[in-house]
Amino acid sequence: MNKPIKTQHQALPLADLPEFFQEMINASDLPEMKQPEVSRRGFLQLSGLAGGGLVLGGFATAGSQRAFAQDAAADVATLSPYVQIKPDGRIIIFAKNPECGQGIKTGLPLIIAEELDCAWQDVDVVQADVDATKYGAQLAAGSLSTLQNWMGMRQAGATARAMVLAAAAKQLKLPVAELTTADTKVIHAASTREWSYGEFAELAATMPVPDVATLILKDKSQFKLLGRRFTGVDNVAIVTGLPLFGADKVLPEMTYATFTKCPQVAGKAVSFNEAHIKSLPGVIDAFIIEPFLDARFFSANNGAHFGGVAIVASNTWAAIKAKRELAVQWDTSTAESATWDELVARATALADQDGEPLMVNVGPPGPNGPNRAPADRGDAPAALASAAKVISAFYEYPYVTHAQLEPETATALFKDGKIEIWAPAQIPQGGETGAAVVAGVEEVNSTLHMTRIGGGFGRKLANDYVFEATAIARRMEGRPVKLQWTREDDMMHDFYRPGGFHSYKAGLDASGNLIAFQDHFISMTGNGTGPMTSADLSASVFPMDIVPNLKLTQTLFQNGISTGPMRAPSSNAIAFTFQSFLHELAVASGKDHVQFLLDTLGDELPSEDPRGMHRGRAASVIKAVAERAGWGKEMPAGRALGLSYYFCHSGYVAQIADVEVSASKEVRVHKVWAVADFGFIHNLNGAENQLEGGIVDGLSQLFNAKITFNNGVIQQQNFHQYPLLRMPQTPELDTLFLQPEEFAPSGGGEPSMPPLLAAVSNAIFNATGERIRKMPLSESGYRLV
Amino acid sequence: MATLQINGQTMDIGEIDPSTPLLWVLRDTVGLLGTKYGCGIAQCGACTVHLNGAPVRSCQIPVGNLTNEQITTIEGMAAADGTLTPVQQAWIEHDVPQCGYCQAGQIMSASALLKNNSNPSDAEIDAAMSGNICRCATYTRIKRAIKSAASSMNGTAFYNAAKQGEQV
Repeated sequence: MNKPIKTQHQALPLADLPEFFQEMINASDLPEMKQPEVSRRGFLQLSGLAGGGLVLGGFATAGSQRAFAQDAAADVATLSPYVQIKPDGRIIIFAKNPECGQGIKTGLPLIIAEELDCAWQDVDVVQADVDATKYGAQLAAGSLSTLQNWMGMRQAGATARAMVLAAAAKQLKLPVAELTTADTKVIHAASTREWSYGEFAELAATMPVPDVATLILKDKSQFKLLGRRFTGVDNVAIVTGLPLFGADKVLPEMTYATFTKCPQVAGKAVSFNEAHIKSLPGVIDAFIIEPFLDARFFSANNGAHFGGVAIVASNTWAAIKAKRELAVQWDTSTAESATWDELVARATALADQDGEPLMVNVGPPGPNGPNRAPADRGDAPAALASAAKVISAFYEYPYVTHAQLEPETATALFKDGKIEIWAPAQIPQGGETGAAVVAGVEEVNSTLHMTRIGGGFGRKLANDYVFEATAIARRMEGRPVKLQWTREDDMMHDFYRPGGFHSYKAGLDASGNLIAFQDHFISMTGNGTGPMTSADLSASVFPMDIVPNLKLTQTLFQNGISTGPMRAPSSNAIAFTFQSFLHELAVASGKDHVQFLLDTLGDELPSEDPRGMHRGRAASVIKAVAERAGWGKEMPAGRALGLSYYFCHSGYVAQIADVEVSASKEVRVHKVWAVADFGFIHNLNGAENQLEGGIVDGLSQLFNAKITFNNGVIQQQNFHQYPLLRMPQTPELDTLFLQPEEFAPSGGGEPSMPPLLAAVSNAIFNATGERIRKMPLSESGYRLV
Repeated sequence: MATLQINGQTMDIGEIDPSTPLLWVLRDTVGLLGTKYGCGIAQCGACTVHLNGAPVRSCQIPVGNLTNEQITTIEGMAAADGTLTPVQQAWIEHDVPQCGYCQAGQIMSASALLKNNSNPSDAEIDAAMSGNICRCATYTRIKRAIKSAASSMNGTAFYNAAKQGEQV
């Protein structure tokens, strides 16, 4: 077996987050971060005694509990920051992480409810406050929530259950060993008596918090909730239109604001037609907000915040109307001036050359900075020279925007030296901290309330709109402000998924085995310090983690159009290029695609990198999807199956698309089969939703998604120029989850999407013989119908 | 002082710029926040409401054009006692929402479809729903929920949603 290059694995996309947040996440010392140990010992071994040292930061400490109790209503007993019990037996479980459609507001409380041994219908779920001391890291990022919180949530539930039992024993004057629990009840089997948890709630809240090492966790066979289907806890509120989302907060005397940035990215507002704007009906005030340049929140390499003009009015429409009459003098001397078509031409001209050595992390950062070395293993040029076949290909993908349906919004009030914000935010702790900086107050005087997020996909990891609302509220001291971006603001001022180019060269031996792999990766840098966010390449992507001879080089174009993480960051585009190219290699090898992938995977072993790909799990999803879709079956003319596989964010997904292509390049995707391995699935509804959504999201990106820029100005402003997939284009979906017991549960939001891109493109090749090496497919004349 | 007929009630909306889209009157003036802003150009359908029973994009209806039209929003769908419509019930049971932001608009479009066509074909569902974007891509569940609601309204059998807590 070839020794893999040790890299900081892509599965943990912390490199995509600003340094501040990386530190925050790392500092939270979550148990599941010790992934290798969890994997080896396995799921079932983690049942029973939880073991020491696995406690979530602050989750059950006496101090945080007392602090929390001060906020609680009088008749509610607070057992921990996660669990309250009412006298009538209702259980309140706090959902720590932001909900953006990934189902975590249902998923994490379910885990607590399981170990608390309560009936789900007795539970009310409440969104937690933002508080790192109580909850550790609170974020919606990297498909990490289940992975990071699986053990902590179980411990939180078991802790509360132990406190209820201790209180019951004391109150009933019975030995605790004679008591058991079920369905929110304490049971004394010997006397066949049972009591609601509510009867012991008040006393339970005064019980000492048990040492985590003494907690007894359930064995999987004892699960009553986990592993079943549960619908979203906010479903009723959603279908009846109750206020839940970012823009739904209403405060007395509220004002409504728009914010206008320079159309040329990074231009700065110098002056505007202030007298005219202020004379318009409903306008209360208008002013320039300077850029926020605090490096903790915006990296200069990824596109910082650039300031703009705020208009505050008595209602949203007045603010939008006034925005349309805004005439701003912009300083564009330091603005971006890139043009996408020029970058494409430059990249294409470099296709036959190598770039600079591509540096990858080979260990944790040392005292002198990052620990990096060139991604170079074996002797790729020599292996290519001796290969039986050499295949070259040049792939391209564009910038894309998140297009989450809820445009950026935040409501803020600055009063009595305190800033209070209601906002949809994927990293609410960062929003709260940054708002303190922007408002010029101590952090203790900054409060952010998490609203439900009307779609995140990574866009709301940036808190730029939170800081804008804060700055506007600071100026409007004493009056609440609701900031509402327009769709045009959103599409023209995103932190985009960057475009990029891959010039591949690979060698096959006489038996059709992959022996050498080269990639000249052409990507973007904002300030010359390295690739921008999501513009990087990890050498741990399959098959680079396995191939014996590997050489990666890189050319970085200077282009500061802001970039950021988007669903499956650093995987969403390269899954298309790598898995399409692997199919090219399979065709050249003369082998069946499934067989070529399995042969390339080789021994079904875990990676030496604990976060790396387990080849056996990879092979399992590929084999399962092939069987499910009837791979190899006869297909009508113009119609074919296409396969793709990808591993990222700890998840393994293989997909097969059944695609029909007409002579005029109309493409109908009849069906997509997807087999995923995210470990144990604790709520099947949630996992299915992520997998189904990922597939259809992928179709949107594959066929139509493209952002372009001319002289630094984004050319797309709304959905008529950036079409998203609609119901008639949606294929039939077939999903299956393999659930090997020895691996910790991980998330499905991100790994669900990437394989779709190449599965459909490979199917088009199988149906027509045309290889497509550029996204979106609309550029090659294909139209999804 | 202008008034609107919203969810069966006469609502005073005060002195208001007649060019204001109904969407913003609902959200900012009346305080009905279930109707969502997504694009402002009738591309996404998040702001869909019923005007005399027909689905319209409220971001495109200047309030000055309205007089006695009956406006129905997502808040007006359930019965006064809180009983949900079959469409709302199906949305919950099939666990349609992911982020949920578009779903009020989706439900308004689906409800209008089923009012006029109690047994729509796949193609009819596609046509009626093609003006509503779901960025989370819940379309397959939306379609199942519409069929489920139709069968429940017709008393016929269709795909039943998995039950809460169903073992898998």
